[in-house]
Amino acid sequence: MSPRWAPSRRVSGGGRLLARHPLARFLLRRTAVAVLLAFGVTLVTFVLTNVVPGDPAAANLGQRAIGDPAVVDQFRKQHGLDQPLPAQYVTYLGHLFQGDLGESQQTHQPVLTDLATAVPATLELAGAAIAVSLVIGVALGVVAALRRDRLTDQLLRVVSLLGVSVPTFWLALLAFYVFFYQLGVAPGSGRLAPGMAPPPYVTGLHTIDAALAGQWPVFWSAAGHLVLPALVLTAYTVGLLTRFTRSAVLDVLGQDYVRAARAKGLPGRTVLLQYVLRAALVPVVTIAGLAFGALLSGTVLVESIFAWPGLGAYAYRSATTLDLPAVMGVGLVVGIVYLTVNLAVDVLYGVIDPRVRVQ
Amino acid sequence: MSRSRTRSCPAALSLTAVAALTLSACSGGGGASGSPAADRTLVIDTSFNLKTADPGREFEPTGQIVVKGLYETLLTFKGGDVTKPVPGLASSYEQSEDGRKLTLRLRDDAKFSDGSAVTADDVVFSLKRVIALKGNPSFLLDGVKVTKTDASTITLVSEKPNPALPFILPNPALGIVNAQTVKAHGGSATAADKAEKYFNTTSAGSGPYKLASFNTNSQVVLTKNPKYTGPQRPTYDKVVLRNVQAPTQKLNVQRGDSQIALDLTADQVKGLGGGLNVDSGASSNVIFLLLNQNTEVSSATANAKFVEAVRKGIDYKRLRALAGSGSVQAAGVIPSTILGALPADRAAGRDLAGAKAALKASGIDKPSVTLGYASDLTVDGLSLQTLAERVQSQLKEVGITVTLAPAPTTTEMEKYRGGKEQMGLWYWGPDYPHSSDYLVFLPGNLVGLRAGWKAGADPALTDLGDKAAAALDDDARRKLYERIQTRLNASGPFIPLIQPSRNTVSVSSVTGITYNPVWTIDVASLGAE
Repeated sequence: MSPRWAPSRRVSGGGRLLARHPLARFLLRRTAVAVLLAFGVTLVTFVLTNVVPGDPAAANLGQRAIGDPAVVDQFRKQHGLDQPLPAQYVTYLGHLFQGDLGESQQTHQPVLTDLATAVPATLELAGAAIAVSLVIGVALGVVAALRRDRLTDQLLRVVSLLGVSVPTFWLALLAFYVFFYQLGVAPGSGRLAPGMAPPPYVTGLHTIDAALAGQWPVFWSAAGHLVLPALVLTAYTVGLLTRFTRSAVLDVLGQDYVRAARAKGLPGRTVLLQYVLRAALVPVVTIAGLAFGALLSGTVLVESIFAWPGLGAYAYRSATTLDLPAVMGVGLVVGIVYLTVNLAVDVLYGVIDPRVRVQ
Repeated sequence: MSRSRTRSCPAALSLTAVAALTLSACSGGGGASGSPAADRTLVIDTSFNLKTADPGREFEPTGQIVVKGLYETLLTFKGGDVTKPVPGLASSYEQSEDGRKLTLRLRDDAKFSDGSAVTADDVVFSLKRVIALKGNPSFLLDGVKVTKTDASTITLVSEKPNPALPFILPNPALGIVNAQTVKAHGGSATAADKAEKYFNTTSAGSGPYKLASFNTNSQVVLTKNPKYTGPQRPTYDKVVLRNVQAPTQKLNVQRGDSQIALDLTADQVKGLGGGLNVDSGASSNVIFLLLNQNTEVSSATANAKFVEAVRKGIDYKRLRALAGSGSVQAAGVIPSTILGALPADRAAGRDLAGAKAALKASGIDKPSVTLGYASDLTVDGLSLQTLAERVQSQLKEVGITVTLAPAPTTTEMEKYRGGKEQMGLWYWGPDYPHSSDYLVFLPGNLVGLRAGWKAGADPALTDLGDKAAAALDDDARRKLYERIQTRLNASGPFIPLIQPSRNTVSVSSVTGITYNPVWTIDVASLGAE
């Protein structure tokens, strides 16, 4: 992936400020594109959810209620389904500009309120998983590369292959069975101990909110409940990152400048950290970004097994009940997450690799 | 990198994993509420089907459990016996001989959780609000006018004879709310009501519990209502309902992380021991086959002899075995738990030779039909996909080719409700525990029309239905509904298959668990040893 925030050489007038701050110009341009793409996401999601055969009224009303035209009319009117599709979309966009994502037909709450709970729940899980994965995956990848074709490398190859091959839902069931049921070293399902009140909402991440509020029992409960599902999610991403890091490090190890650094007599640690790892991190960051996006939008099975009320569970429920406003909201959030992650990855390229900054 | 550093990496990882699990263990794993009697907290795991805690709008299984704990109804049922309504907020009731007028007298000591008295005005407001909201439970009071006779008497007048009304009133959706409080928070007995948000934050009822927190995706917490005046004083100070899928429910209750699991299948409760109690029985859901009588949809399924061939070709015993222990064969469309059900010995049996003869008599050569069903739907843990496959293989032995047409519930339900399926595999759960709820299967009625069975298709059956709808006497009613089902089984387009099993698993310290087909479980009736 090539960076696109190199400074322009043709600058005049009001463009000087931006030209002097190419990163700012890059961010501005990418943000503008992201906004356009976000609208594209809403349009695509809207069209797709409406071409799916099925009637939201039939999906949401009970056996008896659906037989009463007055009840059906009331439902359609309440959710704007009595309007033509283009009018529904325009209305949706109008409300979106005011920060209103509509009301969920399933939870009878504003979609924004639902997402304000579900997104942080998944973010906390995915954030913990990706952080652990980066530390472990990169370390294992480097070890595997440095010990290429030896026993350690072979073992790590098997481990990483297992990580990416084992179905996550199966691993989740197994981990829950072993660590919760058999060994009793993990807490049960959910984000907190049963009946424990969540901390005052600041970020929606229970660990951080509890720490901010000084509610340490809540913090420890939240952190404890986070461990097992997060470790399960790391299995795949660790495997992925190990394989990519190994490959990237091996590529860099063969470069002339690395051989030159060694020939100059630089310590192995300096060569590894400043010459090899830094250059090798570019593809790793790309994969990590994609993996993080996938974790945010694809943890439905793990959430289901650990009764984790996150975005995956909310998306599944919304999709299976044709809850159009909720599906639109989820689509928009996932789109924004991917756009943001891509943007962050592009910026990180420049931070990691000086060659990118001078291009 | 030195050799020693590379070797230290796996060791560091192991240490990290151990530290993580230690943190996890230190957070109180495996028994946060393992001693319900000590802290009087009861944890119930169930797979949520929950939209709202507003009694005027809810009609989902989990909603019924929640609202039952928060609001009292005029009449109720004792335990799992739904054959006889008993006093609730109303201390007594009287139904007119024509079944149109129901007079109820309020209990004089009833108080809401804020200490104010429950009045006839609250009752009138609550019931009129349910009607006006035009939500899922509004049909319960179709054609019913609610009036206050005096400060403690309410009269409900129905357009038609309505002997089912005393059986309808115990429904938690008809819970009585504090009118003054609800009106102060945007409530009204009109479609413009805005009180749902309030109901999802706090409760305004006279039930044994108050709402402490409500989340449709994760958990609902109820706390004891100290002002409760009813007969069933709750044992537990706090009840936590958690949204947990069945496989996890099993491990949670085995480990003691929860005290009750509501959604385990017959297979999952097999061999459960370790101090757990398993309450199993037949669910009130009846799974049935539908054969469309509209010749434009299918000339085969509209053929009476073809229907007979299907009815005789089904191996009911094998289907019941599939549903596991506790399930029963459905003798008619009315489940065995409701008065008016056909006795078990009147259930159909397989007659392969008779099925082949009927198929031959139908005159249809090499019949082929499509069976529609919701492939993602499970009824009490029993997958319709599995059931459809069995039906397909059994009918193949008769000589009928069944093409399976699975679809997501939302898609298939539209076809079913539109009467577009040739054959359909569906279930009916009781909206209220009265046999009149099953008149929907008659020609021209809700489910009858879904089978393309138009009004006038069977005048004798319609006549029987009219008489049954007005029957007040239990014995007369039972006989009429038995006759209706006998006729339905002989010549109707529905083939009742099975009532799956439902299982409630609890730790031994919890007592008083009784399954009720309307609200599943009454949390206030649960005790502790």
